[in-house]
Amino acid sequence: MTVAVESAAPTPEPPLQMGGLTRFEWTVEGARQAIIGPAWLVAFALTGVGGLAREAGFPFWAAVASTLLIWAGPAQVLFFGSVAAGVAPAAIAFSICVSSMRLLPMCLSLLPLLRGRRTNLMTLILASHFVAVTVWTESMRRVHDVPRDARMAFYFGFAHVCILVTAALTGLGYVLMGDLPKPLGAGLLFLSPIYFITALTRNAREAMDWLAIAFGLALAPVAEQFAPRGFDLLLIGVGGGTAAYLIGRKLKAGREARA
Amino acid sequence: MSAILDAAQAPYLFLILFGFLPSEVWRFVSGFIAHGIDENSQIFVWVRSVATCLLAGVVAKLLLSPSGALALVPLAARFGALAAGGLAFLAFRRSVMTAVIVGETALIGAAYYFIA
Repeated sequence: MTVAVESAAPTPEPPLQMGGLTRFEWTVEGARQAIIGPAWLVAFALTGVGGLAREAGFPFWAAVASTLLIWAGPAQVLFFGSVAAGVAPAAIAFSICVSSMRLLPMCLSLLPLLRGRRTNLMTLILASHFVAVTVWTESMRRVHDVPRDARMAFYFGFAHVCILVTAALTGLGYVLMGDLPKPLGAGLLFLSPIYFITALTRNAREAMDWLAIAFGLALAPVAEQFAPRGFDLLLIGVGGGTAAYLIGRKLKAGREARA
Repeated sequence: MSAILDAAQAPYLFLILFGFLPSEVWRFVSGFIAHGIDENSQIFVWVRSVATCLLAGVVAKLLLSPSGALALVPLAARFGALAAGGLAFLAFRRSVMTAVIVGETALIGAAYYFIA
């Protein structure tokens, strides 16, 4: 609530910190940063989803809509793959729900960084829809260079370009399915792992991040053997992530005690 | 279900009910929780660690048990291409694009060798 004040106000609401650009200019800047790189990585990685949708008997626009709505590669692959395999709808919904649980920690670690002083709940929920691996890893790093109150505008520009370019290439994948030589198909499938791991490495700032990456890689073959089907990633994330957090905190405390 | 539906709309309804909603629920819930999280709190740090570890697990899974054409490339070549990308990343000022291009070139090269 703002109160009209005449003289030197005790606590006037500080002006929004936008770093000299307007909100629209920040949106354009976000869009620019997406179109010169990251948007194409996620878009090419998801071309295969279009092909899967066609194999499963879905119409063209359903393939495109799956990117706009689900916007999570593994869940889309799971969805069309399961439909093609004739899995029961309830079972499909359940496995997708389990697979997308990983979006929760991503959203929870990104959204507080995006929140400006005047961000309301609706905006946060809208922002959460665009969180997926690429948008998450890129935003976690990039928003640190954006003034607090401009972050949401930047993020929406960045995220919209990513999702729209990807939707277009999902459609392209639908049309071109089957025409691609196998080695190039393998290359498209390799795009996600190589990009994810380098993006994670680039984002790593402290011991905790490095440990989390190492634990995730190392635990995967173990969890694949012993964890219940569908829940292995959850166990890897919570188990390895918690261990990395605890060890990282201990290392940090030790370094601060010595300093 | 199909009785009350136009056949043309059925795939979209199916997509929304069994694909979109079960996935989106996590984002929706996190919007509410994030509204109350302070970015300097320890929970926030822990959650970042969990998300990072989970994603590294995804990478390992994608390479250990790949789908489609990637499965035709031997395991050693898949991880070899990953290592090539990693080395390029370290050699060229931590550039993600460089790493992706070098890794992809290595993998597609290996794929032509082993598949064709």
